[in-house]
Amino acid sequence: MKNYEELNGMELDTIREIGSIGTGNAATALSSMLDCPVRIDIPEVRIMGYNEAIDWIGGPEVITAGVLVHMSGELNGIMLSVQQIEFVNLVLERMVGRTVNNYEELTDLDRSALVEVGNIMICTFINALSNLADITTSLTVPAFAVDMQGAILTVPMAAFGGQSDYIMTIGSNFICNGVEVPCRLLLSPDIRSLNFLLKKLGVLDE
Amino acid sequence: MNDKLVVGIADMKMARETGMLVTYALGSCIGIGLYDPLIRLAALVHIMLPLNMETGRKTPLKYADTGICETIRRMEARGANRSRIVAKIAGGARMFDTPGGGSLGNIGQRNIESTHLILRREGIRLKAEDVGGTVARTMLMDVISGQVCVRSYGKPEVIF
Repeated sequence: MKNYEELNGMELDTIREIGSIGTGNAATALSSMLDCPVRIDIPEVRIMGYNEAIDWIGGPEVITAGVLVHMSGELNGIMLSVQQIEFVNLVLERMVGRTVNNYEELTDLDRSALVEVGNIMICTFINALSNLADITTSLTVPAFAVDMQGAILTVPMAAFGGQSDYIMTIGSNFICNGVEVPCRLLLSPDIRSLNFLLKKLGVLDE
Repeated sequence: MNDKLVVGIADMKMARETGMLVTYALGSCIGIGLYDPLIRLAALVHIMLPLNMETGRKTPLKYADTGICETIRRMEARGANRSRIVAKIAGGARMFDTPGGGSLGNIGQRNIESTHLILRREGIRLKAEDVGGTVARTMLMDVISGQVCVRSYGKPEVIF
């Protein structure tokens, strides 16, 4: 069993490719939901220490919205859609026809629109991944929270904290209508599933 | 008051006489502030999981059991006395309400229970706490007085 920090270049490239296919599909879904062109950054695969990850996402205390889905079955893990205010407003403008100044102004309808967009992006990502690797995965109902992003990011860390001192995230930013909106889609697989996935794709160097 | 020591995740900082210890964005994690009032020695540890079941035990501060014991040990090495040490804790929230998420969603609750148990076992008095719920917390500890201030989103500050 290989831990995150032991992966070689070939394996990381494969994971990056998975990220690329997943986010590409999620971008298509987002594009049709919002009815605007959506491009993606080059997907990143990052293996970070806990505190490094918090710095990377932009500081612990920044308030953000997160949609979280647990995966189980042949692939176990957590997938998060981290939605900063620019993304929230883009979604709300297109779907509900209004914008907000901060997260406190979100109504139940706004929240449910955000959950739905996050959930569809996550499910599209996982579907693409499942088809690619020919695996079956079931997903939980999405959960939504608005809070400090440091605490939101510690959810996947705590879930796999007993296995590793690192967190692996696969994800990308979205560029909607030519404007870069920070919306990260982050997949954190557990170590066993990651090994299984790489084996299934024939690249695990044991 | 200006020298603020930041405690990361699975980390511990200790200070004497003066300064401020702070740990940001405690979700299901727990911040445990230990304070010896006689010698004004304060330590803040940020733990993430309830029990250390790792074989190598490279990161004792990640877990409630080994984290608390290690912190007490280092405090005693600097002259603290176990019978004087009091504890204040914050955190242990449930950030996402995930139906069918299994035990994962309850890490916060398990952290609280484990922390209580370990403090009792080690003979440390739990003076005050702000735990559970669904909100993230930032915990600040004043080294001079051992006073703790908890900040969370959309709620008034709690001082204890």
